[in-house]
Amino acid sequence: MSNEKIVEIRKLSKTIGKKQIIKNLNLDLHKGEITGFLGPNGAGKTTTIRMMVGLMKPTQGDILIGGKSIRTDFEGSIEKVGVIVENPEMYKFMSGYKNLVHFARMHKGVTKARIDEVIQQVGMQNRIKEKVGSYSLGMRQRLGLAQALLNNPEFLILDEPTNGLDPAGIREFRMYLRKVARENDVAIFVSSHLLSEIELLCDRIAIIQNGELIDIKNVNEHQQSRYYIEAKPADQAKQVLEEIGFTVHPHENGYLIDTEPEHIPGAIKLLTAAGVDLYAVQPHRTTLEDQFLEMTGGGEIAQAHTK
Amino acid sequence: MLKLIQNEWMKLWSKKATWIMAILLIVILLANAGITKWIESTAPAPEIEWQEMEMMNLASAEDQLQNPDIGPAQQDYYEGQAAIAEYRLANDAAPFKVESLQQQVLDSHMMLSLVTLFTVIVGAGIVASEFSQGTIKMLLTRPVKRWKILTSKYITTMLFALLFAILTFVSIALFSWIFFGVGDGAFLVWNGSEVVEGSYWAEALKLSVLSLASTWMIGTFAFMLGTVFRSSSLAIGVSIFLMFVGVQLVFLLQRFEIVKYYLFTHTDLTQFYTGFMPIPDITMAMSLIVLTVYFLVFMVISYWTFSKRDVTA
Repeated sequence: MSNEKIVEIRKLSKTIGKKQIIKNLNLDLHKGEITGFLGPNGAGKTTTIRMMVGLMKPTQGDILIGGKSIRTDFEGSIEKVGVIVENPEMYKFMSGYKNLVHFARMHKGVTKARIDEVIQQVGMQNRIKEKVGSYSLGMRQRLGLAQALLNNPEFLILDEPTNGLDPAGIREFRMYLRKVARENDVAIFVSSHLLSEIELLCDRIAIIQNGELIDIKNVNEHQQSRYYIEAKPADQAKQVLEEIGFTVHPHENGYLIDTEPEHIPGAIKLLTAAGVDLYAVQPHRTTLEDQFLEMTGGGEIAQAHTK
Repeated sequence: MLKLIQNEWMKLWSKKATWIMAILLIVILLANAGITKWIESTAPAPEIEWQEMEMMNLASAEDQLQNPDIGPAQQDYYEGQAAIAEYRLANDAAPFKVESLQQQVLDSHMMLSLVTLFTVIVGAGIVASEFSQGTIKMLLTRPVKRWKILTSKYITTMLFALLFAILTFVSIALFSWIFFGVGDGAFLVWNGSEVVEGSYWAEALKLSVLSLASTWMIGTFAFMLGTVFRSSSLAIGVSIFLMFVGVQLVFLLQRFEIVKYYLFTHTDLTQFYTGFMPIPDITMAMSLIVLTVYFLVFMVISYWTFSKRDVTA
C-alpha cells in the first residue's frame, strides 16, 4: 500500500441557511486504501460526499483531488474520479450500453474498447443491450459501477453503495472493490450506515458526528487484549482478581480484565483454588459497533441499524 | 460540446414521447390537408369569382388607408395590397386558390404554433427530467462544467424546434402537392413603386423564419422555467398558458405605454408583413431589440440557477 495522498480535504465547511452542516473538516485519503465514512444519520456524510464530487459547493475550505482544487479547477480535479452517489440512477429508456456511451463521451479518451472492457469486468456482456428499465437492482448497481470505472479513476467515491443489495450481491461488490483498490492502486471512499459492512471492507474508518470528524482509526489495529470472566460468587472472584493485580471492570454478569493470553491459565488456577465456580472465560473483542456507539453516544445509530 | 449535444440528441430520440410528437405532427398536417380537400370536394362551391374578391380586397385596403390610427408598417402593407388588387384586375392575373400547393405553402407559417407546442414540451423537460429521474447526479459529476451541459441542452432544444419546423414545411408542401397539385395563378409583390411577380417559396420561407421567433422565445421561456423549478409539468403548463393568454393580454394592455415592452406584443414578427398589428406604432427593429433583451434575461436566469444550485435530491 503506497502512502501517496490523492485527496486532501482542507478546512471544509458548509452552511445551509443558518445551520452549519459541516464544520472545519480535514481528511486525507491515500492510494490503494479503502476508507470508510461512518456517522449517524444527519451527521453530514452525504453533504461531505456531494461537495467532493461537485454537486454542492463548499461554503469554506477546499478539496484537492490529485492536487487540483475542486473550486478553481473543477474539470481537472474530477477528471480521475469515479462516482456512485446512492442508487445509480440511469436513463431507463436507453440500453445499458447507450448509457455507458453517454457517460464515456463526457470524459476524455474513453474508447469503445474501454467500454467493452468495463462491461466484461462487471460481467454484464449478456444484457448490456437491453433497456435499463428491465434491469434488477443488482444489475443496476453493476452498471453503476461500470460507469464509475469508465475513466480509469484514481479515486472512487461511493455513497451508500450497497443499499438494496442482497447479501450475495454485497459480498460480490465488496470483493470487487477490494480487487480494484489493490490492483489499480485506487483510493476508495465509502460512506455507509452498515457498520459490519464497513468493518469488512475498509482499511481505515473516519467517523463523523454533527458535521465534525471525531475519529480516524485503522481497522484491525492491535487492540488491548481483554478477557471476560463470569464466576460465582462474584464478589469473591473480584477480590481474587484484584489481588493478582488486574484492573477489574464489571461487564454484564461478570468482569472484564485487561491482560495478555499467557496470564489466563494462572488466573483460572487461582480462582478455582479460592473455591470460585467459573462459568465463562473468553476473549473479549469490542466490535466496531461498540466503539462507534461509545464514540457517538448511541442514540441515532439504533435507527440507522434497523434500516 | 459536440459530444454533449450528441448525448442530448441521443437521449431525446431514445424517448418514445419524441417519436410520438413527430408522428402526431405529421398526422395533424395530413388530416388538415385531407379535411381541406374533403370540404372542397363536397361543398357546392358558391363560386365568387376572384375578380369580385379582389374588388373587395381593394375596397377594404383603401378603407384601411383612410384610418388615421394605422402605423407605417400597415400603411406599406395596405398600399401594396391595393396596388396588387388593382394590378390583378387590370391584367387579369388571378391569385392562387386556397386549395393549391402555392397558397398552402404560403400559409404554412401558421402551423408553426404546433412546433412551438412541442418545443415547449421538450424545452421544459430537458433539464427538469434529469432532476426527476435522479440522473442529474450522474451528469454533473463528470469533468464538464455545468454551463457547458446547460448550453448543450439549450442547443438541442433549438435544434429540435428547427427540425420540427422543417418537417412541418416539407409535410405541408408534400401533402398539398398530393391533394391539390400546383394551381394556376401568379404570386405578386409590391416593391414600393410597382407590382412585380415574386417567388412564393421565398415568401413562405421568410414568413416561417419570422414565425420561428415566437417558437424561440416561448421555447426559451419554457426552458428557463424547467431549469429553475425542476418540474417539467409546471414549466409546460405555465408556458402553454402564456402562449395563449399572453397574446390576449396585448389587447388588454393596449392603452398603456408598458405594452411596448411586453414580450407578446413582439413575438409575432410576421405582423409587419400581414397587416394585423394590435399595436400599430412598433417597428421590426424595436421588436428585435425587445426580444433580444427578454432572451438575455431568460438565459441569465437559467444559467445562474443551474450553475449555482446545490444538488441535494
